[in-house]
Amino acid sequence: MSDAMIQVRAVTKSYQRGGETLRVLDGLDLDMEEGHFYALMGPSGSGKTTLLNMVGGLDRPDSGDVFVAGEHLSELRGADLSNWRADNVGFVFQGFNLLTVLSAQKNVELPLTLAPLSRAQRREQAAFALELVGMADRASHRPGQLSGGQEQRVAIARAIATDPKVILADEPTGDLDRASADQILQLLQRLNQEFKKTILMVTHDPAAAEYAQRIVHLDKGRLERLEEKGAP
Amino acid sequence: MVALVFRNLLKHPIRSLLTIGSLTIAIFLLCFLRSVVTTLEAGIASADSRRLWVQSAVSLFVDLPTAYQAKIDAVPGVERTCKWQWFGGYYKEPSNFFAQFAVDPDELITIWPEVEVVAGSKEAFANQRNSCMVGEELAQEFGWKVGDQVPIIGALFPRPDGSAYMFDVAAIYRPTRATVDSRTFFFHWKFHAESQEAITGSAPNVGVFVIKVAQDADPTSVMATVDGLFENGPQVVQTTTEAEFNRQFVSMVGNVPKLLSFIGGGVFIAILLACVNTMLMAGREQVRDVGIMKALGFTDGSTFGLLIGQSLALCGLGGGFGILIALGAQVPIATLLGRFFPGFRILPETIFLAIGVTIAVGLLAGIVPGRSASRMRAVDALRRQ
Repeated sequence: MSDAMIQVRAVTKSYQRGGETLRVLDGLDLDMEEGHFYALMGPSGSGKTTLLNMVGGLDRPDSGDVFVAGEHLSELRGADLSNWRADNVGFVFQGFNLLTVLSAQKNVELPLTLAPLSRAQRREQAAFALELVGMADRASHRPGQLSGGQEQRVAIARAIATDPKVILADEPTGDLDRASADQILQLLQRLNQEFKKTILMVTHDPAAAEYAQRIVHLDKGRLERLEEKGAP
Repeated sequence: MVALVFRNLLKHPIRSLLTIGSLTIAIFLLCFLRSVVTTLEAGIASADSRRLWVQSAVSLFVDLPTAYQAKIDAVPGVERTCKWQWFGGYYKEPSNFFAQFAVDPDELITIWPEVEVVAGSKEAFANQRNSCMVGEELAQEFGWKVGDQVPIIGALFPRPDGSAYMFDVAAIYRPTRATVDSRTFFFHWKFHAESQEAITGSAPNVGVFVIKVAQDADPTSVMATVDGLFENGPQVVQTTTEAEFNRQFVSMVGNVPKLLSFIGGGVFIAILLACVNTMLMAGREQVRDVGIMKALGFTDGSTFGLLIGQSLALCGLGGGFGILIALGAQVPIATLLGRFFPGFRILPETIFLAIGVTIAVGLLAGIVPGRSASRMRAVDALRRQ
């Protein structure tokens, strides 16, 4: 076994849709190294989001194995899997997925409530994360009072608040204009370069993929090719 | 998590307020109805075991001959007997209604030691034929003082010209036990008998006799002897303990405790349905939030706890307000309903029951959305947004 941060071995996954079996991942093998920024591209239905969910422990393969940060995810169940996710993974979604009833500060503090931290430590850590994404001055704002780009920055602050090893981003710029999208992508790039976070980002946008170091091209649930971009 | 529970409740303030409001009313009603039952039960339970009541075996509304008193007095173990006649009149207006009884004053004073005279004297009441002894609350309500003349218009025993019977207030009593009514008007049997004889030409009969059993006598044996004494009439009697008499009196208007329990049960089901409905709506609206939380690492148990916590918080607020209002309204209600339920008060057991019902409703209302949230996979929840 290699020492890659993410290892995907012979993973298959099928869904039943309209009485038909739809094979989304078809014996996929893939290694992703620690501290790298990967973009995951491919046509609709090629299995990008399914793979992302499996790496994040949100979904399970029908067969095959997924190892992330040295953990065999198929062996984790229930609360163990949840705890592993809280410690190791940060999610960034296309629709931001902030809790609308909480302020930016409280949204970022939310995953920290799962860590053994005092209230003051949580507050401090969340404030640091918001500072890092340039949202410290909007900490008391609710999601409804923020622009799309600002919401996504708060979502990134939430994803990094627990200092996870892996950040999984599902179309993080899909709902944003170009300028906001570039800011978000620069932010992800900075997290990768300065804080050595392993980032896996699903995108349809070739311009967004340009920010990654490597582009994984999927097609029909298989690895089509791995494109090396080199250091940006 | 606690902040999230309350923020979610505030997300739909009107819906939350309406649910809390309905719970407040329901729990208040529960406390009130249960307290009526416990007050009635306390009245029955606090009855004097050495007081026996002799009534017609046919009905409480059938009178007994006055001559029975001497025969009952002669029964071994009987210390004293007192005539007890419902008068059914009112003070000035029919709306000024309260209980009036024609009694033997000396006997009343001896048989009811829990009646303490706080103004005037027992002797004055016993010695003056047209005098009356009234409860303290009654005197306060109508502003009566010792020495005042009180006109009572007979409804069951009216004067031919419709005029009032005039009584002098000789004594004002205060019950030493909460379950004894403080709004009763006692006057002389002899005054009643003479008045009725003058009006109808014949001496009236008596509604009930009350017996004081001697300390060394067996009340059961006295009851059997008294009943046996009049087995062949002219009126067959039924002698009961005071507790049984009180119970029968309460049940004259139906099985009140059972009726109130049914109403309480209905209230419980109604609020349960209202809360289940609110929580089901909340659960449906929070599917996305549940998905987000699970993606962040929250366990199935904690998302279950979030929904249960919301339900408990909602019910806790409603139930808490209901209990506080019930406690706050205890004294005004006791004053208002004292004539019907003397000694009305909310017992600690009733508060515990209300707390228990509140928690039960909270748990039951939160279980379905809570289980749904805990069983939902994060990917499915996030896909539904």
